[in-house]
Amino acid sequence: MASAAIPHPKRRPPPFRTVGRSVLLTLPIALWALLMFTPTLRSPGLNHHIGAAAAVLFMTLLFFLMMRTGKTYRWRRYFFVTLGFLFPVGFIASLIHLRGSMSISLEHMLGGDTPFCHMVIPMILIPAALTRTVIFPGSILPTATNPHSVAVMIGLWLALTLVLGKAWCSYACFFGGIEEGFAALPKHIRIRKIDPRLRLVPWALLIAVAVLSAALFEPVYCMWLCPFKAVTEFPAVTGVKTAIQMGIFVALFVGLVVVLPFLTKKRTQCGFFCPFGAFQSLFNKINLFEIRFDRTKCADCTLCQTACPTMALSAESIREGKTLLNCMKCGACVDSCKKHAAVWHLKGTPVAVKPERARLLFLYGAWALATMLGGSIIANSLATILGFLPIR
Amino acid sequence: MHKRLLAVLAYVGAALSLIVAACTPFVLMGAFSEAVARTGVHVDAVYSGGTIARTVMRDGYQIDVYRPVQPHALQNVDPFVQIAFRPAASLPRRLNTELDLDGDGRPDVRVSLVMPRNPRARPSGEVVALSEAYRSFRMPESEVGFSELIAQSNGAVLVRIPVNQPSAGR
Repeated sequence: MASAAIPHPKRRPPPFRTVGRSVLLTLPIALWALLMFTPTLRSPGLNHHIGAAAAVLFMTLLFFLMMRTGKTYRWRRYFFVTLGFLFPVGFIASLIHLRGSMSISLEHMLGGDTPFCHMVIPMILIPAALTRTVIFPGSILPTATNPHSVAVMIGLWLALTLVLGKAWCSYACFFGGIEEGFAALPKHIRIRKIDPRLRLVPWALLIAVAVLSAALFEPVYCMWLCPFKAVTEFPAVTGVKTAIQMGIFVALFVGLVVVLPFLTKKRTQCGFFCPFGAFQSLFNKINLFEIRFDRTKCADCTLCQTACPTMALSAESIREGKTLLNCMKCGACVDSCKKHAAVWHLKGTPVAVKPERARLLFLYGAWALATMLGGSIIANSLATILGFLPIR
Repeated sequence: MHKRLLAVLAYVGAALSLIVAACTPFVLMGAFSEAVARTGVHVDAVYSGGTIARTVMRDGYQIDVYRPVQPHALQNVDPFVQIAFRPAASLPRRLNTELDLDGDGRPDVRVSLVMPRNPRARPSGEVVALSEAYRSFRMPESEVGFSELIAQSNGAVLVRIPVNQPSAGR
């Protein structure tokens, strides 16, 4: 009888919550998802109905699993990787539909047809503040050929940043999921030693591209350094300069988004390159949610450091019970901590007293916005893919 | 007491951030976008061509003459003047015209255009400067750049003429 009480080593741990409680906690997100996709579900078009229904189910199911298991990163990653891989599909399809090509020509730039993305924001701030000029060949207000205008995208970014802060990089960025997907593929880490000074590269790049863009009056990062141009849109190759640009985009994409994430199991582009990520880190200062470490429970096992996809933890920061400024609140450290020392925290409240409450307060806002933005991208991209299939 | 007050404020802040999230798709996004548009920011004239100085009406089409565009700081673009022939669909297959760019009553350039049959193709043509303030060029022989081009965009044929002297057209 006594042996029956000893837990079997291979037995699964008990679920974090009961099914009933998990369903109840998921209900607001399910209703929100339905609300977000009601216009699509009402509009004609079977492909769009299927895409929207799949997005509603997907986002709701993942949230339910977060509630049921208490794990955040594990389920968020399914959403994020799906978003990362579906975004280029929908985006490229819309480019081909609107202008017949993935490449952007001089004519499209003159017509203000370049879609604006969040990565440009740090580069346009100084010229916009000094001269009211946006150094980007897009349009301020949406047009028939460019719905992703400057004002729309900045409005979206501002609203989401108020809620998410740096968590934008794990719940809203439609690029980060690509490398997270490649980082998730291998079972073992092949390159373990990464110089921690590489964490400073995004800051150096941020300063460099902001100053250079203001001086040269052109979005330097978009023109020369953006790895995601390789899978979204790129300047039409018309000469040596544009060929070099294209070569850089492809090399950076292959190196930072495919190969290095595969070898290191880290988001190398986000952690060691992206200037927008560095810029977004500044908003962690004003965001209310963070990850903290309960020093009374921490065993200094460094499992959290290994799990962190952007090296936002150091031995010193863990000793101080904090993450570094570039923490994007993905929850990998919390999921990996066997001692439950890594916890979600609401600034101003005692550390590790009610971490699940802090997690829920954060997740409701983050998942609602992830459903709104990422969910609609997933729905649209699915509808696009279905449009290519020979089914009606 | 101080800690308790801080905790209460933190929960109020967290509740507010949830409200912000709920309002984002319905109110906030639009409000922020409008606020951005209302700041008066505009797309750099190197891309947009700048503002129209005057419009010349012709038989079946119009010619918009823009104000000269000067590069900012270290911007790698020569100063230029943009003219737009619109609508492109109403232009004759071959067009030859003299234009006064600076408004002094004398023609500054002669523009010759050959419209392609494919509406998406780039028109060819020539700009001959009649004044020292402007530079002549011929397309497709010249290298296309933001300050020297003949192109079709948004239903118009755009011609950008490089300016020799920064004071031209003022």
